[in-house]
Amino acid sequence: MREVYLVGAGQSDFGSFPTESYRSLFKTAFEHALDSTDGELDRRRIDEAYIGTLGVGGRQLGLVGPSVTEHVGLDGTSCTRIENACAASGVALRQAILAIRAGAADTALAGGVEVMNDMSSDRTRFWLGVSGETEWERMAGTTFAGVYAQMADAHMGEHGTTREQLSHVAYKNHANGAKNPHAHLGFECSLEDAIEGTTVADPLNLYDCCPTSDGASAVLLASREVAEELTDNPIRVTGSGQASGRVGLFQRPTLTGIPATEKAAEQAYEEADCSPEDIDFAEVHDCFSIAELLAYEGLGFCEEGEAGPYIESGATMPDGERPVNLSGGLKSKGHPIGATGTGQVVEIYKQLRGEAGDRQVDGLSRGLTHNVGGSGGSVAVHVFEEGWA
Amino acid sequence: MGAYVSIPTWWQQLDSRYRLVVGQCPDCEAFNFPPEGACATCASVAAFERIEPEGTGTIVAHTVIEGGAPPEFEALLEAEDAIGAVLVELDEGVRVPGMLTDCDPHEFARGDRVEAVVRKMFEQEGIVRYGAKFRPV
Repeated sequence: MREVYLVGAGQSDFGSFPTESYRSLFKTAFEHALDSTDGELDRRRIDEAYIGTLGVGGRQLGLVGPSVTEHVGLDGTSCTRIENACAASGVALRQAILAIRAGAADTALAGGVEVMNDMSSDRTRFWLGVSGETEWERMAGTTFAGVYAQMADAHMGEHGTTREQLSHVAYKNHANGAKNPHAHLGFECSLEDAIEGTTVADPLNLYDCCPTSDGASAVLLASREVAEELTDNPIRVTGSGQASGRVGLFQRPTLTGIPATEKAAEQAYEEADCSPEDIDFAEVHDCFSIAELLAYEGLGFCEEGEAGPYIESGATMPDGERPVNLSGGLKSKGHPIGATGTGQVVEIYKQLRGEAGDRQVDGLSRGLTHNVGGSGGSVAVHVFEEGWA
Repeated sequence: MGAYVSIPTWWQQLDSRYRLVVGQCPDCEAFNFPPEGACATCASVAAFERIEPEGTGTIVAHTVIEGGAPPEFEALLEAEDAIGAVLVELDEGVRVPGMLTDCDPHEFARGDRVEAVVRKMFEQEGIVRYGAKFRPV
């Protein structure tokens, strides 16, 4: 199998931007990615592009991929739009990796974009629920926060997870995001604030929920030959895993875990020839606080049912044994749906290169990204490591 | 603009909308809801036997939605201040998503017993959509 290297990554700010469009945001992310490469990469060398987006608001629903790539001078380049809800660009990343492995591309672009804040409240609430199971779950009145609230309720009931443990996710990720200049909600919050937030879907409150953001992200991948031309400090993509799960929570065998996370992680670890203990740091999908706790268990960072005590121990803080969501995560950095998966890779790239500014943690050499679509209908997991193979 | 299930699709599903009709897999005997597609337990694609359940079950996951209801349930949320959204494990052993009715949803929790009743779900395109909700036994 051909080796794949991460040679560039960039993002726009995540937030609410009345004067930007989905194309201008993507352009910002793409130019940052190009600028981030060590050597000069001519954009016309990109063989394949994969763009993740849900298409929130319905703007350019057809051919949205070529619409953004033409905007950055890639007219003519093969481009495919990927829709897997919130896992859209994590899956786009995997497609780019597969294209290089297959020999169909030597240089590939994976990215994502979403604009979520330029709509009426009715339209926003319609689009926020479209990644859940529509015909039964949503028609029973269950919102997207509601589905995760049901998982939180089941986890609390079965494993004794507490309100305070859920709030540790917001407390930690806001502390990290406050150091990220790209973050949508780049402020700190106290544990008390996080515990006492306004209820959205009991037991989840406002501090348990990520914001809806505008933003874009882009990463550049290359074969070994191209990577050798560009850099002496390579980052290799050592593992890629993807799995699907039943779209509706009610149809899954468990309410306290996401089976697709376990399957995707198993595949990624096997490819990377490593185990959870070998992961130095991770960017995981914390759309709701409970989602980060479920990720710890599904990725094998702790035992099943132990995620509450695990976060409370400080293990995933920047000075802990395995920092998680140093970028601020979806909770603080923001969640422009299609841009989230490759946005996670931007943090991996910066941390491994020592370019993460105030939030830099030294001594990291192997990172993992975990991107979930819906409440677990699709999951992509990737492992990155410093050095040539 | 609300979530959308077309009228023809809704009508095709009326047995399950009104009476929670489930499918039993002829290969592994597991119950599936709704009664269509591959068996969630053994992935068999053999046609399900359609069974009408008793309509009683136990809450296995519970939330009370106080904000951000989808447009089709906005009027209900305004009228009642809160929507109880639950997963119910029917006594036949299959889970269905549901909404609580005829009660204060805050007073319910995992483990409580409920039964299905037909109620108005919402109105769309000038047509009332009825379906099963759950109330305390």
